[in-house]
Amino acid sequence: MELFLQRLVDGLSEGSVYALIALGLVIIYRGTGHLNFAQGEMALFSTYVVYQFGEWGIPIGIAVVLGMAVGFTLGAATEVAIVRPISKKSPFAVFIVTIGLFQLLNWFDGAIWGGQQLPNSGVGSKQVRFPSLFPNAPTDFVTIFGANIKVQSLGVIGLVAVLTVALFAIFNHTRLGLAMRAVAANGDSANLVGIRTGRVLMASWGLAAAIGALGGVVFAGINTNVNLGLMFTVFIYASAAATLGGFDSPGGAVIGGFSIGIIQNMAAGYAPKWIGQEMKVGVAFLVMLGVLLVRPSGLFGTSRVERV
Amino acid sequence: MKPLISIKSGGPASWAIRIACALAVGYILLWIPTRGSNSLIDTATTALTLMGAALSLNLLLGFTGQISLGHSAFFGIGTYTTAIFVTRWGWSPLKTLPVAFVVAFVVGAVVSLPALRIKGVYLALVTLALGVVFPQFIKWPKIAWLTGGARGLNDTGFKFDKNNRTYEIFGWNPWGNLRGENVKPFYFWIGIGIVAIIYLICRGLVKSRVGRSLIAIRDNSTAAAVMGVNLAVTKGIVFGLSAAMCALPGCLTAMKGSVVTPDTALLTVVGSITFLIVMVVGGAGSLWGPIIGAVVFELITEKTSDWVDPDKIPSLIRPIFSWSDTAPAGGIFALALVVLMFVAPLGLVGLWKQTIARVVSVVPRPAGSGTLDAPESSAGGIPTWRPQQEPPAGDEAE
Repeated sequence: MELFLQRLVDGLSEGSVYALIALGLVIIYRGTGHLNFAQGEMALFSTYVVYQFGEWGIPIGIAVVLGMAVGFTLGAATEVAIVRPISKKSPFAVFIVTIGLFQLLNWFDGAIWGGQQLPNSGVGSKQVRFPSLFPNAPTDFVTIFGANIKVQSLGVIGLVAVLTVALFAIFNHTRLGLAMRAVAANGDSANLVGIRTGRVLMASWGLAAAIGALGGVVFAGINTNVNLGLMFTVFIYASAAATLGGFDSPGGAVIGGFSIGIIQNMAAGYAPKWIGQEMKVGVAFLVMLGVLLVRPSGLFGTSRVERV
Repeated sequence: MKPLISIKSGGPASWAIRIACALAVGYILLWIPTRGSNSLIDTATTALTLMGAALSLNLLLGFTGQISLGHSAFFGIGTYTTAIFVTRWGWSPLKTLPVAFVVAFVVGAVVSLPALRIKGVYLALVTLALGVVFPQFIKWPKIAWLTGGARGLNDTGFKFDKNNRTYEIFGWNPWGNLRGENVKPFYFWIGIGIVAIIYLICRGLVKSRVGRSLIAIRDNSTAAAVMGVNLAVTKGIVFGLSAAMCALPGCLTAMKGSVVTPDTALLTVVGSITFLIVMVVGGAGSLWGPIIGAVVFELITEKTSDWVDPDKIPSLIRPIFSWSDTAPAGGIFALALVVLMFVAPLGLVGLWKQTIARVVSVVPRPAGSGTLDAPESSAGGIPTWRPQQEPPAGDEAE
């Protein structure tokens, strides 16, 4: 029971990171129908920026807000300057461009902050570990039903829950949310009734990148450091989450993220010989494959009807 | 604007150009292993590796329109097939090539079964996940007895006999002397052989009836099905063939390096992205694209590899790159990918064809005369991919 609870909470706290990245994927997919392969790397860039703010002595609470602002700017600028003009050409061109951005951002991070994991005393980092949003000293845990649960895990899960509620409030009760839903439903018609589609899409990309930035910071906090490969597997898990939940359903992305987190942690925990740490990502792969084969629209997505 | 020169396809001028090009390529191919430095031969061999992988990706992505980010896995299957057969059962490395081909074909065809249902970006996602899973699978403790786990396998290449003869042709020694101290030309020639095989398979497919059905699938799969193309079988075979061909350069990697680990860059997702970059920079959907792309990629990567040290950068462009902590090649090509999509979606080959078409016009042979061999230039022959064109209406309809 203790072990089960511990794995559940661990799964949920990792799953919340996947949920955040998956939310970003879904928001962009709903708006423009593109899959943003650079989502993870945009988040990674913001995470490095937050590390840098930490080096300058800015407390993590403020640094994460600034980092999300940087993420928002990066996402919005990407949409306006690159994705919008290229999406007039072909879906394939958009795919290639997001792959290009993936590579470009990763290289850029490496060029500025180097290939080693940070914080690193070897390169003169003042911080000992990546700043966590919640207390994460070895003594910071609470005991529930005999299981020792980290305060950090609970904090992360709570944070994502609050953020999800806030996002749903934005989607359902604000003008921007209404406009975003209109654009998602039918871009051309939304344009005709006077919604500035361009601005909405810009805001969507910005929002997605800002949420991703939060996910990156949270994950780096759990991981205690940030490195160039941090987001590779997270992106795979997140896309599995978005596939499971349905690519056009934000609620599905959150549920999918938590599910993937739990599934892979339970699988790795209860079958250490067969799955263990190595094949965790294989579980996500099988979930993704299974969902696409059996129910391509995901659990909560709307199925696409193709006209010829 | 009217082109200045016009050349008749199949006429004497066209043949003169072809022969001149063939001679130039032949001369370079002989010059590199005989007169080139060891590092140049190494670079050329790596370029050949990338060429083979990008060519096979091109058959799938450029001609059939199936996005794959999992070719590093097929590449890795080749590498590990060679490594395992050589180290565990003592096979001669060259004999493992057909085995790797078959293994990768089977895996590719199996992977293509779900790919029949999964389209576009979803296929990209699934294959990307495949590329990420592959190195993890190799590290899996359950099969470590075979793959060597995370530590990898040693001595996967040729074991050279000290008594091997050298073969000299007019004082040139294109084979290397196979004595262990100068075996690089030998790998170069294996690379040439592999690329030649892959190129010929691609060319044979693309210029035949099969090739036309592939292009039909890419441009409008529904229409292709209506016209009688068997989508499932064609896609499955092409996926398998592309995977099988991609395994061959993978084998070469195992042969020339003595150690194979799951963290070798080309066996991870980095490899998939590299192949994609090579293909797109050279020109997707053209036979020569990946070849040009690989040469350009490897030349720039090699030239800029020591630019981490600012003093090594040519002074003219030092301010642009001196701040970087890593070699700039990754950034240059990432940027090139984005920029190329705007200015030349068909890559360097597409750009070249556009430019040359302004100066030279190639008059195609009248229909019905001679063979069906397509002319070399943009005037006809291989239908080139036009990403600018609108997606078929209703394809994305809700």
